[in-house]
Amino acid sequence: MLSRVADHLYWMSRYIERAENVARLMQVSVELLLDSVAFGSKKTDEYWSPVLAATAMEGAFRLIYPQPKPGDISHFLTLDERNPDSILSCVREARENARTIRDQITDEMWSEINALYLLVSSSGGAEMLERTPQSFFEKIIHSSLLFDGITTATLSRSEGWNFIQLGRFLERADKTSRFLDIKSQSISETDHAVDSLQWGTILRACSASASYRRESGSEVTLQKILDLLLFGVEFPRSVRFCVRMVDEMLHAITGTPTGRYSNQCEKKTGALLAKLNFADPEDVLSYGLHQYIDELQIALNETGQAIFETYVLLPQESTRISPASLSFSPLEFELRQQQQQQQQQQQQQQQQQG
Amino acid sequence: MPSLTYTPADLFDELMDSSGKIRECYQNVADRFSCMLPEELEQKVKSLELLFLKHGVTFTVYGDQQGTERVFPFDPVPRVIPAHEWEVIEAGLIQRITALNLFLYDVYHEQKILKDGVIPAEVVHSAAHFRPEFVGIRVPRDTYIHVCGTDLIRDRDGQYLVLEDNGRCPSGVSYVLENRSAMKRVFPQLFGSAGVRSVDTYPADLRSVLQYVAPRPKASLVAVLLTPGVHNSAYFEHSFLARQMGIEIVEGRDLLVLDGFVYMRTTHGLQQVDVIYRRIDDDFLDPKVFRKDSMLGVPGLVDAVRRGNVALANAIGTGVADDKVTYAYVPQMIDYYLGQEPILGQVPTYLAWRDDDKKYILENLPNLVVKAANESGGYGMLIGPKASQAEIADFHDRIVANPRNYIAQPVVYFSQHPTLVDGEFEGRHVDLRPFILCGETTKVLPGGLTRVALTRGSLVVNSSQGGGSKDTWVLAD
Repeated sequence: MLSRVADHLYWMSRYIERAENVARLMQVSVELLLDSVAFGSKKTDEYWSPVLAATAMEGAFRLIYPQPKPGDISHFLTLDERNPDSILSCVREARENARTIRDQITDEMWSEINALYLLVSSSGGAEMLERTPQSFFEKIIHSSLLFDGITTATLSRSEGWNFIQLGRFLERADKTSRFLDIKSQSISETDHAVDSLQWGTILRACSASASYRRESGSEVTLQKILDLLLFGVEFPRSVRFCVRMVDEMLHAITGTPTGRYSNQCEKKTGALLAKLNFADPEDVLSYGLHQYIDELQIALNETGQAIFETYVLLPQESTRISPASLSFSPLEFELRQQQQQQQQQQQQQQQQQG
Repeated sequence: MPSLTYTPADLFDELMDSSGKIRECYQNVADRFSCMLPEELEQKVKSLELLFLKHGVTFTVYGDQQGTERVFPFDPVPRVIPAHEWEVIEAGLIQRITALNLFLYDVYHEQKILKDGVIPAEVVHSAAHFRPEFVGIRVPRDTYIHVCGTDLIRDRDGQYLVLEDNGRCPSGVSYVLENRSAMKRVFPQLFGSAGVRSVDTYPADLRSVLQYVAPRPKASLVAVLLTPGVHNSAYFEHSFLARQMGIEIVEGRDLLVLDGFVYMRTTHGLQQVDVIYRRIDDDFLDPKVFRKDSMLGVPGLVDAVRRGNVALANAIGTGVADDKVTYAYVPQMIDYYLGQEPILGQVPTYLAWRDDDKKYILENLPNLVVKAANESGGYGMLIGPKASQAEIADFHDRIVANPRNYIAQPVVYFSQHPTLVDGEFEGRHVDLRPFILCGETTKVLPGGLTRVALTRGSLVVNSSQGGGSKDTWVLAD
């Protein structure tokens, strides 16, 4: 498979998963907000701030909105084009990646991702968000799940499949860990006692409520939450499950037996998986939840970088003109390339205009 | 009830003869359209649009960093070509492409046609797309143009005339296939027993052509489609064809040349490429040889082609054959190489660099269409009857300054065809671009892209300027 194609497949599924997770977080936050507005206890933005923190978008938000008004945060997270991680931007990126490698995915996959983009970018989508935000978020989540299902049911299990799964599970591992981080800061103050309403929200955001109740009953404890969301063996959104999938996919690409490695990314995920396999919630809490998650996220980022270096920067040094030798910035390089792509078409059109 | 009738103009009308009677080949279509209720038709037109949008059958609009995409406007009334007319078109196109390929082989080898004085050597040597670097280089199977999209129009008498030959990177075939598939879905009852010939084999035929021109026989041949990239307005088509042929679509940066062989970068290392169906113009192909600043090409590609390690379809340098001055000499080519009379006519062309013609052109500017001979001049064209005094004076000066770059033709009004405009049928100008493939045999796709000028009276059928398209039916008998 072309390296560039692998990269597009990987980002297509990462972005759709990212859109889904922002929607999940928004969905439960809106729910929670409705509850507390009824109680009249807290200001709305206090509910949104952790969401921003969880998606690591706080800095970007402060930059775009130096003096935020009510509603700015939710717009920023959903339909704001200036935010590269808003739902709209993620869906656009996912669809743009899909469009570029449309020959590699099935028609059904394309139809779904294209339909989602057409909805989110339309006035109808904005209206839906305005009137029935819950249906809007549900639509995003369902569409992402449907895309996953269509992929499973229609795409050959060749290398492309592996790269799609890599993107999805790496993104999901990252987001689940971030969800856990939302409340990690306030833990020491309250001495491991948990606000069951808020932690319940996080379980719901991860579609984990039912699994939790089945395994742990109705009492919400931090240990049991971590046991499920960090270390759950069977739960498909747990960090450990996702990392195991990443590890499996990487080994499927090279054919290396699991437990060994043939390149940097296999080495990274193997080590991370071992760490998750041999730890429990008590270890994490005594180490410090926030710090543990921080290190987890660094390891996940390094895995993503290693995948890029192993499969996309491949294989020989490029002989083409590098941006550096032309003495302009990568952005400008990209821009000039776009211009030429269009320019060459204009020439063809003139030629055909007669 | 919308009936397919409207007032015919003083032109060739595809639907009706001069007395207003519906032509036999359209009877079936006319009957079925007249059975449709206006609401039903409106609803079908909407679902067509939605279908194109959902399939992403779009082109990109320029000058927009966001890359706005539009659906190519589609008209539901199919253009019908009866079998006996198609036989003539097909034979004429095969004759023409055969002559053009022989001409290209000749000008890049012995140049007999120039030495014999049939075509002035000056015409070839001054053509912007002539590539002297390629004189004496063999190309696989001696074929230069593998894919050709020839534009045809019909004059007042209904004669098909060649307007131009697109022998570089003709586009539009994906619309032919998508239009047909959409029509089948939305108007299944229209097809009925009409006996419309299928266009589905095109991708497989194109792939056979690519296989046929491979530099050397090989068990597992690697063919790729080289695209300028996703920002190119024809990207949909590139992606569509690659998918239909089951080959990789690559950008310049995916390829590299090592020791005169072309490779693509894959997740498992380098893989050799044998045939490239390129949708990039010569100018951008290789920054080492042509435009130095090209970011779309592959450094060293031209060298690999010269060494015969990779085949390009179409070959480099085919632009000399679709130059507008060369066009004027195609009938002479057909006579010279094939000893035949041209089956298809073409538009009479005056060449400004011939003194007699120049005199005629300059004296008759208000009645002529003037075109720049090659597009890179970018000076556009003059439609005499619609031009202002100032524009005519301007072209007068340009022609005097650079006669080689200009040709002139009498104004030919294209035929018109019923087209749905705001719920009513009206006549609009159409042209036709059939696609020809040259491999082991030469095949003309039974169908083609019918482009329609949606603005009343307009002769401009381009999608960028208010043009649309129609499904084109070639009847089996």
